[in-house]
Amino acid sequence: MKVLGVGGGSREHAIAKAVARSSYSPKIYWISELRNPGIYKLVKKSGGEYLLGSINDAELIASQAERWKVDLVVIGPEEPNFHGVPDEVEARGIPCIGAKRSLSIVEMSKAEMRRLQWIYNIPGKLLFQTYRSYSEALENLKRYSNTLTWLQNVALKPARQAGGKGVKVVEDIQAYLHSEKQSFKERHIMWLENYMKTYRDIEEKILVEEKVWGPEYTLQCFVDGKTVVGMPLVQDNKHAYDFDIGPETGGMGSYTGSGLLLPFITMEEYQRSLEIVKSMVDAIQKTTGDKYRGFIAGQMMLTEIEGPTLIEMYSRLGDPEGVNVLALLETDIIEIFEAMIDERLSKVKVRFSEKATVVKAVAPKGYPDFKSLAKNHPISVDEGVIEKAGCELYWGSANLKESGEIVTGGSRTLELLALGENPPEASERIERCLEQKPIEFLDGWGFFYRSDIGSKEMIMRRRVLAERVRRLYKYREGRGILGKRLDWLPKVGKIDPVKTLLDNLRAMR
Amino acid sequence: MPGIVCIYPFGLGRENWKIARFVYYGLLALQHRGSESCSIITFDKEFNVISKKGSVDEAFNEEILKTLSGFIGAGLVSPKENDLPITVSSPKRLILIYDGKPNLDKNRIEAWRAFAEILSDEIYRTKDSLEAATKVLQEVDGGYSFVALTEDQEVIIARDKYGVKPLEIGSLGFDLGAVVSETSALDVLGMDHVSTVKPGEVIKFDPYSIERRQVERRANHRYCSFEYVYLARPDSAVNGISIYQVREKIGEVLAKERSIEADIVIGVPETAIPFAIGYSKASGVKMSLGFITTGRRVRTALKPSFFERLVGVQLKLNPIKEVVDGKDVVLIDDSVVRGTTLRNTVWNLKKKGARKVHVLIGSPPLCSPCPYGEEIPPPDELVARSLSEKEIAEVVGADTFHFLTLEGLTKAIGLPSNALCLSCWMRGERT
Repeated sequence: MKVLGVGGGSREHAIAKAVARSSYSPKIYWISELRNPGIYKLVKKSGGEYLLGSINDAELIASQAERWKVDLVVIGPEEPNFHGVPDEVEARGIPCIGAKRSLSIVEMSKAEMRRLQWIYNIPGKLLFQTYRSYSEALENLKRYSNTLTWLQNVALKPARQAGGKGVKVVEDIQAYLHSEKQSFKERHIMWLENYMKTYRDIEEKILVEEKVWGPEYTLQCFVDGKTVVGMPLVQDNKHAYDFDIGPETGGMGSYTGSGLLLPFITMEEYQRSLEIVKSMVDAIQKTTGDKYRGFIAGQMMLTEIEGPTLIEMYSRLGDPEGVNVLALLETDIIEIFEAMIDERLSKVKVRFSEKATVVKAVAPKGYPDFKSLAKNHPISVDEGVIEKAGCELYWGSANLKESGEIVTGGSRTLELLALGENPPEASERIERCLEQKPIEFLDGWGFFYRSDIGSKEMIMRRRVLAERVRRLYKYREGRGILGKRLDWLPKVGKIDPVKTLLDNLRAMR
Repeated sequence: MPGIVCIYPFGLGRENWKIARFVYYGLLALQHRGSESCSIITFDKEFNVISKKGSVDEAFNEEILKTLSGFIGAGLVSPKENDLPITVSSPKRLILIYDGKPNLDKNRIEAWRAFAEILSDEIYRTKDSLEAATKVLQEVDGGYSFVALTEDQEVIIARDKYGVKPLEIGSLGFDLGAVVSETSALDVLGMDHVSTVKPGEVIKFDPYSIERRQVERRANHRYCSFEYVYLARPDSAVNGISIYQVREKIGEVLAKERSIEADIVIGVPETAIPFAIGYSKASGVKMSLGFITTGRRVRTALKPSFFERLVGVQLKLNPIKEVVDGKDVVLIDDSVVRGTTLRNTVWNLKKKGARKVHVLIGSPPLCSPCPYGEEIPPPDELVARSLSEKEIAEVVGADTFHFLTLEGLTKAIGLPSNALCLSCWMRGERT
């Protein structure tokens, strides 16, 4: 058995680990842009090969898969999906675990994902608007700036998945701070437009969505084209710093409760979230006529307006969320992959350990918004200390050079995982480990991580928030007004923003 | 009891924020902590500091706010005219805003100046602000909270080991972090309250990270009990405890401690209203609206001169005749300092027809100066120190007069007395 993996982050290290512990004892082959020290070790140990190359080069990856005669290819990150790597690999008759280009649109275009959801009337929706340019967005936001339409409290996003960058949430409720927030909004849209210029594969550049509040969670699934199997819920933490302060990152740490649920999500909410993801898979399969084989994830939020709500979708495992679930996975991952290839996932019993997990990412200062500062710092890690502390190391954006030196790649350098009876226990374990300073930047550059991930305080805060939101959406549900919105504008009258949105969608088609 | 605000943007485009207005509204929300002086600090390439006398909305107007550029901001309001941000120019340039008092000098301002200088030296020496502040916090006793902004765009946030003075952390979207004396300032700014700075905790914001460190913990906290009774806004939480709930509970405790036959209970606006609500709930005595205020809200007890306090009270407390006429009234006030304004109030009620006036105070007798610099008059001006409850009743013209007991206070706060600073209610002087 030979397996080729693509991608060089901590999530991919977790995939490689899961593959390495398979009873099939596969030979592991890998392609990524930087040489991940952890994956490299596993590849060498298995007798496979590691190639440095572009993970978006479909031709390169497919021909390497042929040359190495691998039995299957597994894709880690989203960009190879967007670039049609799974399509090219399968065209050569090699099975691939990874969403094809047409299917990965649910992640690549946040606007397309949302349109699909509205057209198929799948629960958990948000109001949205897209714009092709700064001036178009600005004109629209200004037109309504003195009224209380939903456009006052918005999340501004790049319309295309852009490495988790560029999202700003501007809640503009305090009239006395309106001018400050408005001018910040305008400047950010201008920045977004520039940033999005580098992506030429999409026409809509800017997405404006209604701002919602509530606890977030990620539901990751295996999909074989027929069956969607949900994994334990994970809570990722996007803010760069402690207390949920600071810019949005790819994720600074995540935790699972024990079992399928998080301490603040009910079984009913889990089931509803799973239904949403399943319906989205059905919808995209129907629209494209292709079969979805790979990972999919719903990044969810419990909201007052709809209950479980879809914020974004991943056509892959989350990072760090993938690290949590793969550490808990008890079923042989190759067995699952084979079942996904043969469309018999429904026959496989996918088991996870009941332990809680916490993952904390360690990043060089400068990440996420000033990556040039965060690059090329030599780093040394004492793996003995980490192991002794009962933690597991997952290398991320790091490059093992020929000389044996390891330097940072600019993104999250590594992730530490610990198991426990509950998240606070696992979190403490990582804290104790880091107190012994197993990580050192040899040039003295600083690094950071979040000490609060999985802590008692954090979980308590999420629980209070979830209860507040649950009361509200349950009330709406009881009155049959889940998902209903209504605006009123002076001189215009009542406006049903949902109807307006649907009318626009119909006109577009 | 100054009020502290600091707003700090993170991430890409952080320089795009114009932060002065955020500081202004944060300070406005903390105005009750003092209105004799008021300062706004912003940082662009340099510190801009504007300090003025008086309340926030008197001191700052649209014109000034418009010209105040800068993306990092901080501010201070204080009941003392000379409480201004402290600037140290060398060796490490920094600006410090503060509440409480470190034990470095008898004079509070001198103590803070010394503190700021030590901090500046220590940062310069260690080249590590977090380590420097941790060391200073470890070594300097007292009851204090502070925020220091350095020329390197760092913000150092800390509370003394006992946690005497409050300090809270907030967040807005993916952009702003904030530090404030009370959570209500976060509400006003539309921010989320995300944490309380722990006693003995040092937090550092810099452009690329937030770091925290905890100095050796003291066995017991010494949370200021005066915050719960009087200082903080009822819509704030201090140390995770809701001020409103404590005050309502004080009313309930008062009802249990003193059973009084009366027709109505009224509270002196605004602090004593929740006491009256709690009292009414527990005793069954009907609560009514007793007074209407003339002019803008002022915290009369914080006014420096007797005359200003009296003017304040007379304007603040016009009794509604129909409410009190012919009634036996329970009047609840938050504290008694000299008793002079209370005397005026009781006299007013009787003039409007109240038959009996029973006075209850939602705090124990105020007997001693605050070791951490709270504005409390000298001991010989404190009526509770010289007179018994019975004598005070006679002086202010009330039919009965009672303070809340010390046990009642700790019960209402819900913390053991060794977790609270109760110095001002104690007869023996403790520092």
